[in-house]
Amino acid sequence: MSEIMAIASGTWKNILRMKVVYFLIFCVWVLVGIASMYEILTIGHHKPLMMDVSLVLNAIAASLVVLSVTFEIPRELRQGVAATLLTKSLGRTQYLAGKAVGICVAGFVICALIAAGSLIIYALTFSEAIAGPMFQAHFLLIISIIPMASMAVFFATLFPEVAAPVLTIIAIWFAYSTGIIANIPVVYGGLLPNLDLFNFKSHAVYLKPIPILYMILVTVWGIAYALFLLMLTSFFFKVKDIK
Amino acid sequence: MEEYVIQTEDLTKSYDSWFKKASRPALNKLNISIPKNCIFGFLGPNGAGKTTTIKILMGLIRPTGGKAVVLGKPYDDVESKNRIGFLPDSPAFTPTLSALEFLDVCARLLKIPSDTRKQRVEEVLEIVRMAPHAKSKIGTFSRGMLQRIGIAQAILNKPDLLILDEPLLGLDPYGRQEFKEIILAQKQQFQASVFFSSHILSDVAEICDNISILNKGKLLCAGPLDTLLSGGGEGVTVDISGTVHVRELITEADQVVKKGNEEWELFFKKPESALLSRINNLSEQFCDAVQIRKGGEDLESFFFKKIEEDNARNN
Repeated sequence: MSEIMAIASGTWKNILRMKVVYFLIFCVWVLVGIASMYEILTIGHHKPLMMDVSLVLNAIAASLVVLSVTFEIPRELRQGVAATLLTKSLGRTQYLAGKAVGICVAGFVICALIAAGSLIIYALTFSEAIAGPMFQAHFLLIISIIPMASMAVFFATLFPEVAAPVLTIIAIWFAYSTGIIANIPVVYGGLLPNLDLFNFKSHAVYLKPIPILYMILVTVWGIAYALFLLMLTSFFFKVKDIK
Repeated sequence: MEEYVIQTEDLTKSYDSWFKKASRPALNKLNISIPKNCIFGFLGPNGAGKTTTIKILMGLIRPTGGKAVVLGKPYDDVESKNRIGFLPDSPAFTPTLSALEFLDVCARLLKIPSDTRKQRVEEVLEIVRMAPHAKSKIGTFSRGMLQRIGIAQAILNKPDLLILDEPLLGLDPYGRQEFKEIILAQKQQFQASVFFSSHILSDVAEICDNISILNKGKLLCAGPLDTLLSGGGEGVTVDISGTVHVRELITEADQVVKKGNEEWELFFKKPESALLSRINNLSEQFCDAVQIRKGGEDLESFFFKKIEEDNARNN
């Protein structure tokens, strides 16, 4: 476990030290705050708009954080950083798990900051207490980073620097889709995770509580899916030559 | 206790892909045995298969045939890596971490106890003279500084076996000297064995007790350096400046090479004791003009001879 945490700490430090991350968080807060100015345009629906904007922007931020690993792993493999680490007492599965944990921690911190800031702005702007469903919706969005991170690690391990981020973003988009592919059971909610399970914007906007049992089950499902995909990735990574 | 730190048996690696078969294997039935507590130089021209061998030994790539045993365990055993230090040919480390942080990550991976970890990291930074740069980001380091950090992470766990791929590359003459001292200290203080590949033959000749030469994936020779250079016997080479002393020895030499104006190299394959004492007397009397070397050839000529012979055979 200490090996996984050693790799994970390197990964989250790497992301959380980038100044641009905090600039983007600030930009999100500004955009959320700006939503309060749309009272007339939205015919008084600016409160739901602000909540919706905060959740959408948080989902985009989560995807961007997850995407960073699709650049990091192929670069580490190409430049030899991974080779140096893997010649220590570190299994290949542990390396992948460390990367996934690291990206999850970085994602949790960034998305939690965005969520906290957005909710505070909401509370201050409308002088209202923050309702439970708003917290719940943000919480589930943060949990969705777990399966997304495992998808990113999967593509980053098997594909080069250019292809990995493109494939990851397509996969995340498909995983959120409730369109045609929702009818293909093996692909949707099988090979690709059903990220729509974590999408509760309407509940947050219209203050409809989300059952606690559902939240627990969907969290467990996210972790189980991430473990399955990491094991699949590890199966391929173990036979890969690291040049 | 294992007698050899590294043993390979018919180790073969071919970089065939699904679409294309490689013209020749990168490594062709390599058999080497590296005894404990020796410094082993692994030589060969570019593309000989040195890095491939090292990467197999470190479990980074999988052989297509044969066996490799490192410290008595299969090459891909993860736990035995705690006893190995490795420096890759082009060291690259996480650029956003400081030297101190990166070495801390390595120390954690090597399971160095947390109470001694910080102290050991500071110690190795002192050894490689990087302590003043401990808190600087690795991304800002020059090639030589990266090489020093590479050496630091390789000796962090006081390894029983050091595997170094081109460790002297990118170091200035002072750095090279310091590095050689570090290697020798590892052998003397911690009874470590060192396996390293290099193109700088003078350095290999200076510190290695055993060498092997690889060409086009095939092992050409391996063994103690003195034995190989003396052609398997007790040969002696005498470097002479000036013609006066040459006249005395030239008729008895097995091989004479005129190296320049009044500079000669005489090789005696199996010198008798009377001849040896005459040579020693001359060397003591005229220490500037007569110099004795153990062995038949210098490593450079031996290396070129072996490679050219092999290339001629293959053509």
